[in-house]
Amino acid sequence: MWNQDKSLNLSILLVRILFVLIIVLALCVPVMANWYDIASPDKTGLIAGSVFWPLSICLYLSAVFGEICLYHLYQLLKNIRNDIIFKSENCRHLRYISWCCILVAIPFGIFGFWRSLGFFVAFAAGFFGIVLRVLKNVFVRAVEIQEENDYTI
Amino acid sequence: MPIIVNLDVMMAKRKISSGDLAKKIDITPANLSILKTGKAKAIRFSTLEKLCEVLDCQPADILEFQKEDSHADEI
Repeated sequence: MWNQDKSLNLSILLVRILFVLIIVLALCVPVMANWYDIASPDKTGLIAGSVFWPLSICLYLSAVFGEICLYHLYQLLKNIRNDIIFKSENCRHLRYISWCCILVAIPFGIFGFWRSLGFFVAFAAGFFGIVLRVLKNVFVRAVEIQEENDYTI
Repeated sequence: MPIIVNLDVMMAKRKISSGDLAKKIDITPANLSILKTGKAKAIRFSTLEKLCEVLDCQPADILEFQKEDSHADEI
């Protein structure tokens, strides 16, 4: 029977897999950037020319922020599994994840000047970051309520 | 916080230990310590009632309101 623990364990496993996958993909960035530079059908960007370097820099930065984001997501999921939910530590993890999403949006936003696809990725990452920010604020309030409850004698 | 808990003063007056009081009012010594040290955010009426009953006092003997010094932040 499927339950909450299995969902959590699956999420943790997927985060671990994604963590390794990003490292592997980071090693293949030059190949991917080169391939995209040749195969990209979208030539509607404001800046013409090769996207090899802009895309490579963008992907490397995203890989770094992605790994930081996954590390904090892993810690958050581990805390939830250990029944440590409404604690300020989790708010800190959510804040870092949110910042990572916003920081990923910046290089992709700049990449959008070469290929307009970058704007969509930047929008998606930025939007996700803002949603997580709201979630973090909800968590902060929940932590306050939890503490108030814990300190009511 | 402007509410001061004078539980330790009342306990000293009644010569009762923390362990005994915790047992009599049916709360854990850890929670009593939170109350004594002023870390508590709120107190239930039921807890206050038991405290007053055991210590034979009024709520005002345990809780005290003190105005916060408004200039404290400026210094």
